[in-house]
Parts: sequence; structure tokens; C-alpha cells
Amino acid sequence: MKKGRIFGIFAALAALVSAPAMAQNGQSVALNGDVMVVKTINEDGAEPRTELVEPDLVVPGDRLLFRTNYENTSAELVENFVVTNPLSSAVQLAPDTSGDQVVSVDGGKNFGALSALTVTEESGTVRSALASDVTHLRWTLASLEPGESGQITFYAIVR
Amino acid sequence: MKRTKQLLGAVSSVALIAFSTAPAYAAGTQAGQPITNEVFVDYQVGGFDQTQVSDTDTITVDRKIDLTVAETGNIGRTQVSPNQTQAVIEFEVTNLSNDVADFVLTATPAAGNDFTLTNIIIFVDADADGEYDVGEEVTYLDELAADGVQQVLVAADIPVTATAGQTADIVLTAQAAEGGTIGVEGDIYDATNTSDDTEANTEDGTVNAANVDTVLADGAGDDDAVEDGAFSDTDGYVVAAADVSVSKASTIISDPVNGTSNPKPIPGAVVEYCIAVTNGPGAALATAVNVADTLPVDLEIDDVFGVFIDGTVDGTGDCNADGTDNANSNFVDNALGTPDEVSGTLSDLPASTTRTLYFRATIN
Repeated sequence: MKKGRIFGIFAALAALVSAPAMAQNGQSVALNGDVMVVKTINEDGAEPRTELVEPDLVVPGDRLLFRTNYENTSAELVENFVVTNPLSSAVQLAPDTSGDQVVSVDGGKNFGALSALTVTEESGTVRSALASDVTHLRWTLASLEPGESGQITFYAIVR
Repeated sequence: MKRTKQLLGAVSSVALIAFSTAPAYAAGTQAGQPITNEVFVDYQVGGFDQTQVSDTDTITVDRKIDLTVAETGNIGRTQVSPNQTQAVIEFEVTNLSNDVADFVLTATPAAGNDFTLTNIIIFVDADADGEYDVGEEVTYLDELAADGVQQVLVAADIPVTATAGQTADIVLTAQAAEGGTIGVEGDIYDATNTSDDTEANTEDGTVNAANVDTVLADGAGDDDAVEDGAFSDTDGYVVAAADVSVSKASTIISDPVNGTSNPKPIPGAVVEYCIAVTNGPGAALATAVNVADTLPVDLEIDDVFGVFIDGTVDGTGDCNADGTDNANSNFVDNALGTPDEVSGTLSDLPASTTRTLYFRATIN
């Protein structure tokens, strides 16, 4: 997560430096993210079902749903809308994540479909990337109409 | 649990530096570590890059209390002798919690024991000699780290009245307690007493990074329930005794008429006597095994051949000629009309072993 941290600092500085510009532009995009716990409920005589609960109690092994709501709050067309989500070091991407998900396994340097990426071990062995290698996730939307909104989600397990 | 939500700014970037180094423990992420849903968006309007937008939502990992206690070392009951003092059995306490914790230890005789154990001592073998030494006793394990494993030994005295085959067991229970202060036994974590945990909270909404709840996630041991912050396992003692049996056989080596070819038990014939002593499987070590034999009156000890001890037997139980001529063995070569006598002391005899004593005599 070293790269992610640097990225975070850079982003923070960028946000500070350009804050006045944002105010002028009226910030075309609104974001709202949260985390929920996916709780499996086992009741007698019923199939186990899952329920989303507030993250009041989060311990290692819990399955979490990361959600980000986005909206184009401006009157203009937003293009090349790229959402990047550095993964918290305390979680790993759920193993059942689609292989088509665009991710980075090298701290945000390179992005590609999870199933297409490889990891080079310290021994020099190259292997396919696993969900547990993921450091960042990325989604790209070609355009966002004025007023258009949506939600991106992914599951992760507390390490 | 803390839950904060803020736009990424200078303050939160400091927080990122401080908290993004959490190592992954096998027991899981350390309690108190943040999990951040952090998102950055780059976009263009009218073909021009716009200022990056970001958002974060942070939750905190809670404390999961989990542990095991397991019998280690000699698996199954440990063999002891009646009147043995400070007989030791061995356990391991493993902290599977995602936080440091103290573990309060209790050792209780199990129900249904055949004899009463006394002087039960829980100790940590500081000098690794496998024995209890004064000053090694403990009542709790202090500050056992996440994933930490600690060997815990229990010593007890066996009554002199205990008899072979009798058993007595001890249940060792470890109860998780609040860690964080070296040398201080913390308040225990149990189902009714998590409010006693000063760090626990009731989702009070305060923005406090130390707001960590405690969840009991342990299994049920031999003598405790699930999710009670405790775990227990049983180990014990079985009184062993030696199980010595003796067999004696004779072989005619030669006679004056036939030599060694199909010799007959006639006067002048040489007879080898083989006395085999066996200690049974699972028996205690037999020590000071003394073999004494009085010869028939019409046999004369072969004092040139001597008396051999600690040999082995072949598949049919006959003595192999691999004993040691034992200078300590005695034979008494009495005058005619008085039986000769042979005696010898064998080396200590572990379970499932056989040692022999053999000698030769001539038929008068």
C-alpha cells in the first residue's frame, strides 16, 4: 500500500491547491461512499440469506460491501469519468470478484482486468494475479449526462 | 466502532500516513485499525481535465477475542508412579484474537478421577528444564500478542495409594482478559462483562480512533461454552506399574557319548539354562531386576562358562549368545548333595523389552 499512500498524499495536496478552482467550477461531480457489513443469517428451516447491516461490529473475516454513489450535479456532460478506489490494507478483495474487474496489483502503477494481470514473486516466478494481490480498483465511464447518477460496489474481506 | 466521514483534506492525509501500515496477522487485522473506503474520480468537461474529486468513509476493526488451549508434548495421559511428586503435563495457549490479551489460567481436577491430585501448580517453564522450579508458577499469561503461543505446564502430586491403571485428569482453562498493561492482570472478557472493558463503547458516535468493541468468537473447549472468552482442554495421568514376566528354558549342548550331535540328557551332558525376563507393553520401567535360580541337586554349575546377563532372545524365545559375562553375577558352587545357586541383576527394563540371564551346568 506504499504506492497508494503516496497517491493519497498527492491527491490530498492536489485537492488543497486547487480548492479555489473547484469552487469556481462548482464541482460537477458529487461522491458519497460508505461501507456495509454483509451478514449471513441462518434461520432454522430456511436457506441462509444475507443482509446488509451498519458496520457497528467489524472483525477479521467479515465480508464488507464497499459502495460509492456518484452523480453529475452539473448541467454539463461529464466525460472520461474514472473512479479509482485504493483498497484499504486491512481488507482484501473478495475472491469471487469478476476476473473482468479492472484493478491494479502494483500499487496503482498499472491497471488491467484482474484475470489478465500477473504478479512476479520474490523468487522471480510469475503467476496469475489473485484477488488478494489487488491494491486498487478502477471503473471507467465514457460519459455521464447532467443529473445522471449511479453506484459502484465491490466486496472485500477483512484481513 | 468509530465511523467518520469527511472529504479528503490535509488532516485525513496525515491519518493515511499514520494508519496505512497495518500488517496482516494470521489472527487478522489488529483491532483499532481503520478500514477506509477511499475513492478518487478524474473526469473531463468539454474535453478539459477537471479537478480530482475524492471521498472517504472510515470504519474501525473491532477486537475479536478467540483462543485455544491444547494438550501438547506427550499426547494422552502421562505415565506416573504412585507417590510421584510434581508430575508434569503440558499445554499450549494460543491467542487467536486480533489484539494483545492477558489469559487467566485455572487448573481443575476433572470429574471422575480415580485418585486425588494434590499440590496442583500452573507454571511457565522459564528455564526450559521441563520441571517445576520455585518462582515459575503463574496465575495468568501477561500480554500475549496476537497469534502468540505460550507453553503452560501443570504439575501435580500423585498419592502413594494410587494403583496401576488408575487415572486422574486436569482441565486447564484460559480466560481472555484485557491486555495493554504489562504486569497487570486485566479485566476479563466475557459475555456479561464487555462493559467492563474500558475501551468498548456502545456506538456512542464519538470520533475516537480508540473506539473498539469487543466480540467473543471463541469455540467451546472441554469445560467451557462457545463465545465466553475462555477455552479449556484436558490432560492427565495414568499410574503405570512394571509388568514383569519370567520364562526359563533349557537346551542340552553336548553329552559324553554323542558330543554336540543330537546330545542326550545323560550323566556328563552339558545343559544351558536360559532365563528370559520380559516387561510388558505400556508398563513402567522395571529397575533392579534380580534373577535368582537354584539348580536341581544333580546339576553342577559350569563355573568356567560363567553367568551371562542382558542378552536377547530369538524368535522362539531361546537365548541368543549375545549376553555379557557379568563379573557381578554370583554363583555358589556347593558341595555335592547341596543345590548350586545362580543370581544376577539385569539392566533396567523398559516396556516391551526382554533381557536374559544364561549359564551352563553339567548333569552328574
